[in-house]
Amino acid sequence: MEIICCLKQVPDTEAEIRPAAGNGEINYEGVKFVVNVYDEYAVEEALKIKEKLGAGTVTIVTLGPERAAESIRTGLAMGADKAVHLDDPAFLGGDSYVTAKALAKAIEGMNYELIFCGMRAIDDDSMQVGHILAEFLGLPSVMGIVKFELSDDKKKATVHRQVEGGTEVLEVPLPAVLGATKGLNEPRYPSLPGIMKAKKKELKPLKLADVGLSEGEVGKQGAMTKVTAFSLPPLRQAGKIVEGDTPEAKAAAVAKLLREEAKVI
Amino acid sequence: MDVSRPLYWNIGDIGMVNYIMAFAAILILVYAFYDRIRLWRHGKPANRSGNVGKRVAGIVQYVLGHWRVLKEAYPGAMHFLIFWGFALLFIGTVLEAFDHYSGLHFLTGTSYIIFSFVLDCAGLAVLIGIIMAAWRRYVIKPPRLDNKPDDFWVLLLLFVVVASGFLVEGVRIASLNAPADAPWERWSFVGWICSTFFLGLTQQAAFVSHKIVWWFHVVVSYIFIVSIVYTRLLHVFTTFISTYTRNLEPAAVKPIENMEEAETFGANRLEEFSWVDLMQLDACTRCGRCQDNCPAYLTDKPLSPKQVIQDLKAQLDAMAPVWAQKKTGSAEEPAPPVEEKAISADVIADDVSWSCTTCGACTEHCPVFIEPWSKLIELRRYMALMESRFPPEVQVAFRNMENNSNPWGIGSSTRGDWAADLGVKALAEDPDCEYLLYVGCSGSFDDLNKRVSTAVTKILQEAGISFRILGIEEGCCGDSARRLGNEYLFQIMAQQNIEVMKGYNVKKIITLCPHGYNTLKNEYPQFGGKFEVYHYTEILAQLVSQRRLTFSKKLNLKVAYHDSCYLGRHNGIYDPPRQILRALPGVKVVEMKRSRDRGFCCGAGGGRMWMEEHLGTRINHARLEDVVACNPQLVGTACPFCYTMLVDGIKEKDLEKKYQATDIAELVLKAMGKQAG
Repeated sequence: MEIICCLKQVPDTEAEIRPAAGNGEINYEGVKFVVNVYDEYAVEEALKIKEKLGAGTVTIVTLGPERAAESIRTGLAMGADKAVHLDDPAFLGGDSYVTAKALAKAIEGMNYELIFCGMRAIDDDSMQVGHILAEFLGLPSVMGIVKFELSDDKKKATVHRQVEGGTEVLEVPLPAVLGATKGLNEPRYPSLPGIMKAKKKELKPLKLADVGLSEGEVGKQGAMTKVTAFSLPPLRQAGKIVEGDTPEAKAAAVAKLLREEAKVI
Repeated sequence: MDVSRPLYWNIGDIGMVNYIMAFAAILILVYAFYDRIRLWRHGKPANRSGNVGKRVAGIVQYVLGHWRVLKEAYPGAMHFLIFWGFALLFIGTVLEAFDHYSGLHFLTGTSYIIFSFVLDCAGLAVLIGIIMAAWRRYVIKPPRLDNKPDDFWVLLLLFVVVASGFLVEGVRIASLNAPADAPWERWSFVGWICSTFFLGLTQQAAFVSHKIVWWFHVVVSYIFIVSIVYTRLLHVFTTFISTYTRNLEPAAVKPIENMEEAETFGANRLEEFSWVDLMQLDACTRCGRCQDNCPAYLTDKPLSPKQVIQDLKAQLDAMAPVWAQKKTGSAEEPAPPVEEKAISADVIADDVSWSCTTCGACTEHCPVFIEPWSKLIELRRYMALMESRFPPEVQVAFRNMENNSNPWGIGSSTRGDWAADLGVKALAEDPDCEYLLYVGCSGSFDDLNKRVSTAVTKILQEAGISFRILGIEEGCCGDSARRLGNEYLFQIMAQQNIEVMKGYNVKKIITLCPHGYNTLKNEYPQFGGKFEVYHYTEILAQLVSQRRLTFSKKLNLKVAYHDSCYLGRHNGIYDPPRQILRALPGVKVVEMKRSRDRGFCCGAGGGRMWMEEHLGTRINHARLEDVVACNPQLVGTACPFCYTMLVDGIKEKDLEKKYQATDIAELVLKAMGKQAG
């Protein structure tokens, strides 16, 4: 089975995120980048399917700056066969819409029977690329799946997703775009032979011209939304311990604070 | 009559058959032993030949001197008697042959009397030793001994060899009419006593008995020689080899060379161990001292270091015919395929490998320097690097170390935050200093241990030591990654640290954590990082002895010091922490039952700090039993992992009202009349 996995490189959850000067961008200096964890679920699921079938190819498709290649190698080390990297400064600085558009253009010309992606990326959390990608490709999409079962004829899949208070079971014809979330699987840790092999696997860079788009259609220029400013959340104030001689006095003091300072009662 | 013992007395020329038997026995012995050597040679190369002087001194100290064997009185004395008894008998036999064939005949008169007396003492020593061994093995039955038929037959054989020797002597004395004709034979006192068994015999009957007993003794002796390689007696030879080739740098895990080009990592087949590893399997006598000191075994985990060695040895024996076949199989007649067991999982269960804390007690107490724990690290390497097979917590720890260079996974950008208000400069701000204080992950990120890094900082500042930290540029030392088998991750982190340290031209380093100490001191040189590394207790002990610290507060505390494995056993730092404690006003240092080289692991070494302890009972709880038995007010330690494990154990056992744990740096600061936080 030919499976495509969309993979994004994101800052580590523990990284210190600061707006850059001018507040229009993030200052990524000194930040450690990792594979978006939801995309790891996607790669893992694709690999599991391939291993179960005993045949097929798992291809990683990534849009991102040069450094994203490091994360692609991680996916390849996990066991993906090859990768495509939309590596052109023109692609950068865009929003979900132009990202999905570029990805769709790259995927269009490829062989695929199934597309996995993470349901969200942990950096901007917009949760849209999967859906938009499916729209561009004219495919059905299900985001947030926690279980995947392939039909015997490989023409459709049964997927589960967690909904408020229960599980939703859907049947979806393939190819489709499926968005993985926590619970789908436990991503493997790349073995050392895997890491070594990954260094030799095919990683094809795609420039703007290779996907047949123009500068105005992608990246900052083509984006439908624009970030006006980034700002850090206000620092949490230190808590207050209410003093008082009796419980009643303390309660009265708390009530006073809630009314006058917090203005919630 | 000559005061001597004529060779082949009463035996005659047929005694020469003896030489044919001797030749055959020695031939079998040599060939069988050569066969074992060939088995070991299936292992990978290992260099254990440097530093000849130290190695030879080890033979004298540990083999001839029984230094380690005698650490346990009963089994030590027992083995000492058998070993030296047999050694003297062997030397005596050689001497006698020399005396005879050289024509010098110096063993007459008084020298013969002394000679015979000494040999009788030696034989008696062997017999006493064997009786002690049998008593211990079959009556006392210490749990660490598993009795196999081999043990019984070997004891019986040894006994019969020596006892029949005494009977030969006895019947010879009896047939000489010794009291009248050869009164000097009294000095062969055991033979003299044995001669009383034969006193009633006619001379002819005595001569016949002598012949029978003589031949019996000779035949049994050759059976003994032949059985050496096929029984536990093999250790007679392998002890010398394993002691000579012992690891002179046992604290450093050996690196995987050329990781970029290697095809397999760690060991999953016997051939992936070194020949020293395989030879050590033949040096094990199943004495069980390792097991008696193993924190995992003692808390009912599936690991027994002795069993690990024995299971591997069983596999070595199983592979012997397979390897032989492979070698002889020609193109026309290839060796039949044999299903080879994978070592990890099939021979040594995963839980066994993951239970090890790498505390080093097994090797420390092994009389012949076998290294079970380093073999388990080879297995972990195979599992971690080749198959990514490890408990899920381990994966989290690896990820955290990869992404944030600490096992907790706390943002690496906050690594230097603990020192924000302490006025410590980072090397990046001002590289001019004597020492680098390498804080390590615990001292940087763990709230409990930030108190220790703060305390050490304040003490060093007070003493006027010139030092800097790396702050945000510091990385995890890699100890846990390496001991959990992830050599790749370890080497990446080690190389990064070395690069940074070299970049600042660092010469001297003080570490807070014994694990970092061991790694920087003993393992970084493997990657070109040669620094002068001190643990903070060494520096503090020095400051104390130079009276550079002033103590203004009397503490009035009874303190037991808990030895960290990586400070104590692995690096021999037993005294500096105790010297520091003794220097504190009002501190009385007491010792727990298991201390110094017997110190009991807290349970967090070998990367176990980052793993759940699902199997058996908790190691830190077992350690607290020692604390309760010794009943101090405070347990002092100098290791962040031990500190955490002790504090947790005290809490879990609800002993907070009776005992407290502390790092000794905090105590020092307190005695100086200051506060850490």
